[in-house]
Amino acid sequence: MTFNLRLIPLLPFLGAAILMLFGRKWSRDTVVAVAAGAIAGSCLVAFDAFFTALPLAEPNGLRDTVGTWISAGPLKIDLAFRLDGLSGLLCLIITFIGFLIHIYSAGYMEHDPDYPRFFAYLNLFCGSMLVLVLGDSLPVMFIGWEGVGLCSYLLIGFWYKETANANAGKKAFIVNRIGDFGFLIGMFLLYQYAGTLNFQEINATATEGGVLTQPLWGTTAAFWAALFLFVGATGKSAQIPLYVWLPDAMAGPTPVSALIHAATMVTAGVYMVARMHLVYLLAPGALAIVTAVGAATALFAAVIGFAQNDFKKVLAYSTVSQLGFMFVGVGTGNFEGGIFHLYTHAFFKAGLFLCAGSVMHAMSGSGDITIMGGLRKKLPWTHAVFVVCWLAICGVVFSGFLSKDSIIAGAMSADETMKDFAWVGRLAGYALSLAALGTAFYMSRLYFLVFTGETRASDEIKHHIHESPASMVGPLVVLAIGAALAGFTGLPGGLFDHPSWNLLNDELSPVLGPEMEVSRLTEIGVMVGATVFALLGIGVAWIFYGGGYREPSRKFASAVPKLVKLVQDKFRIDELYQFLFVRPLKRFAQAIYFVVDRILIDKILVGVPVAAVDFFGRLARSVQGSGDGQRYMAVFALGAAGVLYFAIRPMAPDALKVTVSGMGVDVDARRGNKPTPEALEYSYDFDDGGKPELSGAGPTAHHTYARPGSYTIRVDVKDTHWKTSSSVKQKVTVR
Amino acid sequence: MIPDGVSTGDFVVFCILTAMIGFFAIFTITRKNPVTAVMSLVATFFGLAAMYATLSAHFLAVLQVLVYAGAITVLFIFVVMILNREEVTPLSFRPMRVLGVLAGVYLFVKFVDVVAVGMPTGVPLIPSDSFGTVAAVGDLLFRDFLYPFEAISILLLVAIVGGVVISRSHQKEVAANVAAAYRKQVHELSSHDYPGAPEEPAPEGHH
Amino acid sequence: MPTIYYLILSFALFLIGTTGVLLRRNALIVLMAIELQLNGGNLALIAFSRQLGDLKGHVFAFLIIALAAAEAAVGLAILVGLFRGRQTVNLDEITLMKR
Repeated sequence: MTFNLRLIPLLPFLGAAILMLFGRKWSRDTVVAVAAGAIAGSCLVAFDAFFTALPLAEPNGLRDTVGTWISAGPLKIDLAFRLDGLSGLLCLIITFIGFLIHIYSAGYMEHDPDYPRFFAYLNLFCGSMLVLVLGDSLPVMFIGWEGVGLCSYLLIGFWYKETANANAGKKAFIVNRIGDFGFLIGMFLLYQYAGTLNFQEINATATEGGVLTQPLWGTTAAFWAALFLFVGATGKSAQIPLYVWLPDAMAGPTPVSALIHAATMVTAGVYMVARMHLVYLLAPGALAIVTAVGAATALFAAVIGFAQNDFKKVLAYSTVSQLGFMFVGVGTGNFEGGIFHLYTHAFFKAGLFLCAGSVMHAMSGSGDITIMGGLRKKLPWTHAVFVVCWLAICGVVFSGFLSKDSIIAGAMSADETMKDFAWVGRLAGYALSLAALGTAFYMSRLYFLVFTGETRASDEIKHHIHESPASMVGPLVVLAIGAALAGFTGLPGGLFDHPSWNLLNDELSPVLGPEMEVSRLTEIGVMVGATVFALLGIGVAWIFYGGGYREPSRKFASAVPKLVKLVQDKFRIDELYQFLFVRPLKRFAQAIYFVVDRILIDKILVGVPVAAVDFFGRLARSVQGSGDGQRYMAVFALGAAGVLYFAIRPMAPDALKVTVSGMGVDVDARRGNKPTPEALEYSYDFDDGGKPELSGAGPTAHHTYARPGSYTIRVDVKDTHWKTSSSVKQKVTVR
Repeated sequence: MIPDGVSTGDFVVFCILTAMIGFFAIFTITRKNPVTAVMSLVATFFGLAAMYATLSAHFLAVLQVLVYAGAITVLFIFVVMILNREEVTPLSFRPMRVLGVLAGVYLFVKFVDVVAVGMPTGVPLIPSDSFGTVAAVGDLLFRDFLYPFEAISILLLVAIVGGVVISRSHQKEVAANVAAAYRKQVHELSSHDYPGAPEEPAPEGHH
Repeated sequence: MPTIYYLILSFALFLIGTTGVLLRRNALIVLMAIELQLNGGNLALIAFSRQLGDLKGHVFAFLIIALAAAEAAVGLAILVGLFRGRQTVNLDEITLMKR
């Protein structure tokens, strides 16, 4: 069944194009109307598709083929979109939260002179992200993949006049690129072995004993394809080792951080793994790697979050950590769980980021939590929203609770999916529990330091603290509601013996397979344990930071200052990368620059022609441009003499036509097929000894050699009338 | 040595004249003193005039003397007198020029080699008495070649005017410009108001 | 004399004139050498005219003489003007194309 799915990405693209062309001439209200309208349009179409059309569709969802994109021999890729439960859900998330953020930005970016450019980029981003999730094949997804990478770069470096912002954008793009390389290799492998890049068709071939399970480099093709695709995911979704761009990306405007680096773009990796789930299920080893990386990242990033002093940086590391959770989810075969967490995380993380924007707006642009505090009274709405999202992310009540639990529970029960590697899943489950503890701790730290106690800021800043305008608060509230309630769409069926309560499962299971089997015991155990850990985290944070910096935190900081510094410096990973990769690469580039650019190209390839042209120019100028009239006349005379010389020379052929027959040779010295003029005399010297054997003869001659060997025949042509001559030589071998 | 059909006298005269022409031509181009050069040029012209006479080109022989040896030489003398400078080394043997001369020599050699060989060596018939006379040439000139004749007279006019214009003394022109400027200044002064003159209504003014 | 002799003489005269044009520094002498060249051409014309018995050659030579006169006049005028500006008639020094 087809549906006009192309409208969903098309409207934002149109919005972006229109704004880029005309945005500068329009008023701010018009710009917002166009941008938000485009997204709203997409949202409505997506809603329509998801709720009305999808249930009636065939099992594979709605399809819209725009046309053939690539047709090169056996490779045929259509530009096609597919909306099923999975992509539909993401579409709704992207368009809905995107719309809210557009409204928020109207207020947040009010004073920015580059207003239209911002909204154009936002629209462009939404369009690209929609292409990514709606794509029916890996290449179409890759278009969106690249597109969001580009928009991320553009939006992070939005205030590009500050070098630091531009560098952050560059870093994001470059690190992403490394991941993209992995993605491409994964695509190539899949094409090589599955013969197709279309999702439906790949999934059809991804069976036990199918083409993808052929051996390759030690294990199966599926393993390597899955692994390389995952490398792409680590870049886009900021996992170890390619997460370093995300904290730097906080240099961009806060709405950008909310939309791109919390709710949507960074989730692309998770989405991709979920899409390719059948391939991953064929390679338990790959699943193990995904799980391990996800768990490690979750824990690692959480720890870094303990010591960050910038509001957005805390949230950035929180995002990295939560993405780790999602990857553990999909890595243990619990694809539904991972997507569930993606969905709830989108709401509460976006809400948290928008709260950050609100707070920074109030604090005159500063995100330094060391000077915040006591904002509970001054920013009531922001505070309320923050509380809801905070509790959600800690996993206490609200949505985060259910999604996080589903992941941890699934990790503990991953025997069927991870087979031999199920222990990795269990280990990851424990690690995630610790990470959840950490999450609760750092988020609570953030809450206490920002909203409780007394404000530690200067009087000047204190004076300006005010709640944000309605255009910013409105979306905040909506997101808070979503954060609170979204979880209830995914109630685990196993828990309450009411599978029908799990609305999310209804949508996703056609795509992702049945919900993971988790025993009732595990389910309850995880729920209880996670809640305990969360409360523990909040409690410790309260001890350290309740109402401001308290004694225990100061004691701890003074006891292990080096450790605190290390964590604050993000374990100096950026410095490590700089040392391991960036500096050698820079040196290498400089070496190449010096050798190739300066020497080879500039000196040789450019210098030599320049010198030659200069030489010939000088030569020509000396002849032609000297201003010396007599010189010109001399050249004239020379020219006339030259013309005469070449005009009266006899025409000897370029090469003699020599036919060898035994010891005899027939020489034909005619030029072409024309008859020779009478005035020509030919003389033949058959051994090039200086004495012509035959002179005064015609154009052809015959000679028999006495001895075999190799001779040079020289023929002189003389013009008896003009008394000029020329000669031509030819080698001949006689046997 | 004397070619067939040529009387001794003719041959001797030819040789003498050739020698004279050649000698004086080379003399002309190798003199340091321009006056000497002009003099030898005159001698060349005379030699040529004589040569034309032996070729039954009577009108042209006289014309040669009148115009060339007469008018043109005088022109040269005038200019020589204006800028009489001697040169230290008359001939300038720059490589390119020498090459040019050598190219000319090559052409000459080839010419002699080839053309000379191919041409008939017979002496043309002595033309009739009226060949080359003023009347005969004039007849042709005013009948068949009237347009070229008129054209050349216009050319001469242009040359005269051009010569005058080019060699005009610029000092006079400068002086004329100065005089014109002075006259203009006087006129302006005299056209301004002075006390006692009747006032003219002023044009619209922005006061 | 056979015509060819006159032709060789005329070419030689032309060559001498060319040598003078190319190798002399004094512009005046160069102009004189040009006259020599023209005379060489005249001689050839006259010689052919006699051989062919046709007076057209004479007419042509006549025109050439008139032309040479005009050309000498203008050329000398230019020379005088040049002298006034550059104070020299040394062609080696008057080679700058534009001041």
